[in-house]
Formats: sequence, C-alpha cells, structure tokens
Amino acid sequence: MAQPQTVQRLPSEVENGSTATGRARNPTDWGVGWSSLFWGSALVMAANIFLWFWDYEFAFSAGLNSASHEFTLYYRTLFWGELITLGAFTGIWYGWLIRTGREVATQPFSRAEEVRRIAVLWSIIGVTSVSIYIEASFWPNWDGAWHQTLVRDTALTPTHIPMFYFFFPLSVVLALGAYIYGNSRIPALYSRDKGFPWSFFLLISAAVLECMEVAFNEWGHSLWISEEFFAVPFHWPFVAYGWLASGMFAVWGETILRLYEIEKAEEEENTQAPSQTHAVAD
Amino acid sequence: MAATPLTMAERQKRLELRALLQKQYKWIDRKWDLVFWITAIFIVAGAADITKQLFAGDWDFWTDWKDPQWWPVITAFATIIIPSALQYIQWAAWRFPTGATYTAVCFFMAAWVGRYFQWHVAESYPLNFVWPISTVGAAIILDWLLMKTRSFILTSLIGGPIWAFLVWGFNYIPLAPFLQPAHFMNHVLTVADVQGIVYIRSQTPEYLRHIERGALRSFLGETQYVSLVFGGTLAVLGYWIGQFIGRYLAVWPIRRYIKTV
Repeated sequence: MAQPQTVQRLPSEVENGSTATGRARNPTDWGVGWSSLFWGSALVMAANIFLWFWDYEFAFSAGLNSASHEFTLYYRTLFWGELITLGAFTGIWYGWLIRTGREVATQPFSRAEEVRRIAVLWSIIGVTSVSIYIEASFWPNWDGAWHQTLVRDTALTPTHIPMFYFFFPLSVVLALGAYIYGNSRIPALYSRDKGFPWSFFLLISAAVLECMEVAFNEWGHSLWISEEFFAVPFHWPFVAYGWLASGMFAVWGETILRLYEIEKAEEEENTQAPSQTHAVAD
Repeated sequence: MAATPLTMAERQKRLELRALLQKQYKWIDRKWDLVFWITAIFIVAGAADITKQLFAGDWDFWTDWKDPQWWPVITAFATIIIPSALQYIQWAAWRFPTGATYTAVCFFMAAWVGRYFQWHVAESYPLNFVWPISTVGAAIILDWLLMKTRSFILTSLIGGPIWAFLVWGFNYIPLAPFLQPAHFMNHVLTVADVQGIVYIRSQTPEYLRHIERGALRSFLGETQYVSLVFGGTLAVLGYWIGQFIGRYLAVWPIRRYIKTV
C-alpha cells in the first residue's frame, strides 16, 4: 500500500495525496495514472468505429465517382472535417501540454508524481500503439479490398480518407505529444539538456515518414499503375518506415529502468529515515 | 535419470533469483506488465500485418493466388521478420522464448479482424475466398528452437527453413480443398480458380496475377519443393532483418540521445 506523499498541487494535475475517503491513492491505480489510457483508447476507437460505419454506409453509394455531387457531399466534406477536427484537437492538446508544461517544469515533484507521469506517458504511448494498428492493419485491409475491386479516380478514395488523412496524421500527433509530455514532466529522461532521445526520434520518424510516403504512393499509382498490386515496390517504404516505430519499445524500456531507479531511491530513503517525506525527485 | 544435486552456489543463486522475483515494490506492480503486454499487441499486430500485406499480401488475400511457386517463397520471408524482432526483444528483456508466438497470435487476430470486417462484411467477399494464413504453429517451433539452442544464429539457420516448410504445411491443410479440380465452362480448373473468376476484381486483372510464371513450371511436381527450399533461404534473411529491428531500432536506443547539450 502506498504511503501518503507530500506533493504540491499543480493546475490540471491529479493529486496523489489522500482522497476524501481517507484512502491513499496510488499513482498506478487504474483511475489515476492509467485513466488517460482508457479515455484515449476509447476516443480513438470511437473515431474508428464512426469512420468504419461512414464508409460502410456511403462508400458504394457516394464514393465511386469523385466528380459526383454525392462524393463532394459525403467524402470531400469528411476529408476536410477530419483535418479540421485533428487540427483543433492538436492545437488544444499541444497548447495545454506546453502551457502547463512550463509551469510544471519549474515546480518540485515527488517520486509518486513521477511514477504517475510515467504511467500517463505509457498511456499516451498505448493510444499511439492503437492508432498505429488501425493505420497499419485495420484500414489497409479495406484499402486492399476496395482498390483491388474498384477503379480509382482520385487520391481521396473512401478508404484513403480515414486511413491516410486521419489515422496517419493522428499517429504523428500522438507520438509527438508523448514526447512533449515527457520533455516537461519526466526531466530525468527527456529534459532538453539530455538531448533528443533516439527512442522518440525513431517513433516520431516512423509516423512522419508514413505520412510522407502517402505522396509517393499516390504519385506511383498515378504514374505506374492505377490498379492495386499490394506487393508493388513503391509500397515497400510503408513497411520500412513502419519498422522505425520499434522505438516505442525503447520508450518502454527506458521508462522501466527509470521506475527501478525511483524504487531504489525510495527504498534507500526509507531505510535511512522511514518517517521522512520528500519534495523533489532525485 | 537422476537429477544432479545442486551445488551450494547454484542453490544460493536460485534463492537470490526467487527473492528478486518476489520482491515487493512500492509502485511497480502487475499493472505495468498488463498494460505493456496488452498495448504492445496493437503495435506488434500492425507491424506484422503491414509487413506481410505489402511484401506478400496479394498471395495471402485470395485462395487463387496461393500457388506453389511464389506464395511459399515470399510469405516465408515476409512473415518471419517481426516474429524475429520480438524474439530478440523478449529474450533480451526477460529470457522469454515467446516472441515469435506472441507476434504470430497478434498477427493472426489482426488478420482475421481485417478479413472479417473489411473484406467480408464491407466488401462482401466470402471468407472461404479471402481467409488469412496462420503462422502460430511455425512460431511455436521457432520459439522452441531458441529455447533449446539459446542461439540466434542457430535459430536462424535451422528455424528459417523450418519456418518456410511449416508456414506452407500448416496452411496447406485449409488450402487443399480449394485445389481440387472443378469443371467450369468447359475447362478443368481448381475450385480456387473458379472463385477468382466468379468474384470480379476489376483492379486485379489477370496480367497482375503473379502465380506460376516462367520456366519453373517445367519442373512439374518439383516446383513446390524448390520454392520451399528457396523460401527457407529467404526466411533466414528475413530473420536477420527482424534481428536488426529488434537489436538496433527497439533495444539499442534505450537511454541514448542524438545530441547531448
């Protein structure tokens, strides 16, 4: 059972001290450090389910002819709607991360708080993992089925719009957001003076390069082959860039090592002075 | 055979390991394990599926593409890459010989979700035309090999060819019924060929269908085995691409910084 900690309360940060019921809240309780994982995954899955049903409902009735009025109504609108939604979400989330991050960076924090922050980082990484699965497996399946069956007359096809223009950029937003979070809140690993970590460099590169590969894909289809042959060489960069997302395992690995350092410091301090509390992480 | 008595040093080592295993931490609990193993499913499934889809997907999408010439070669290569990477990661982190099986199960689930919701429900293809392969059986053997040899070199050299044979062998069982002869429009075709003709794929015309091409057909019944051996060779190569991913993209970056100010 975790002991109550002396923690300075910060704007928009969850307190780790005693609750109204008197029970000490562990930073790794499901409702504390991990709540972002559940909310984030639920939002991404809700967006995915919405887009799946949208395509299920309208792909055949409105998505076959990009010159038609129906296509403009149902698909160009969806395309711009996705970009505006994603842009607004990014602006609000990054704005909050940077604004509160500046305050947080100047405040002392306890070990319990650092553990909670690592749990939040894992939550953002977990949601990024879900987004990468959706962009790399779930939608490519429909993309294959659609483009091997029906003639394409635009780069903004019914399967490309959710996949390339929502989940591809969403993964960039989540991976970069995870780094911004770590940069201000987990200074022992990701503060600016440490330099830029290879782990996040690889993960963010994977997401960004996947977006850039979309252009090569469309260029290749417009030049060499309008039909769909999934193993065509100009698709291969999607795979190689995707491998860079293995940097996610390095993020997990380095934060686990940090957790052991925190535990060790806590253990040593308790051995020396069991009743003392602390205010600043080692 | 009688068990060898443990030496004092071995006993001491075991006790130390047991104490370490049962050590109580303040914040490190099973939730971290649970979150890691569950959230990693998605990235592993995505990586394995996109690697298979864009290197060998066409041969996996349709029964009539599963030929004796190309399918065994490129499928073995494409499907061993991510299992190999996870084998390295899980072995390096926990000495778990489970990485390939974990990947194969994640991949199997992702492939079936894709085939069911996207190919079957959304596009109305029957599942017996578009079912995905499974690599779970081959992955269990690959992990067993690593456990017994404790060597990535031996696992690659022995496991690569075995992987090619087993991926083909395990998936030949569900494929076999579709290779039975059928009389269709005055021609003798396979059931799989009939499926390919009946279900219109206007963007996968015949000239894109890469099956049984070239002089290798003149090898008659041997084609399959030549392909499998070559597939085994490529699987060794694929295994080491996976090792590169595991070693240098997943593990090496831990606590390394591009530039330290």
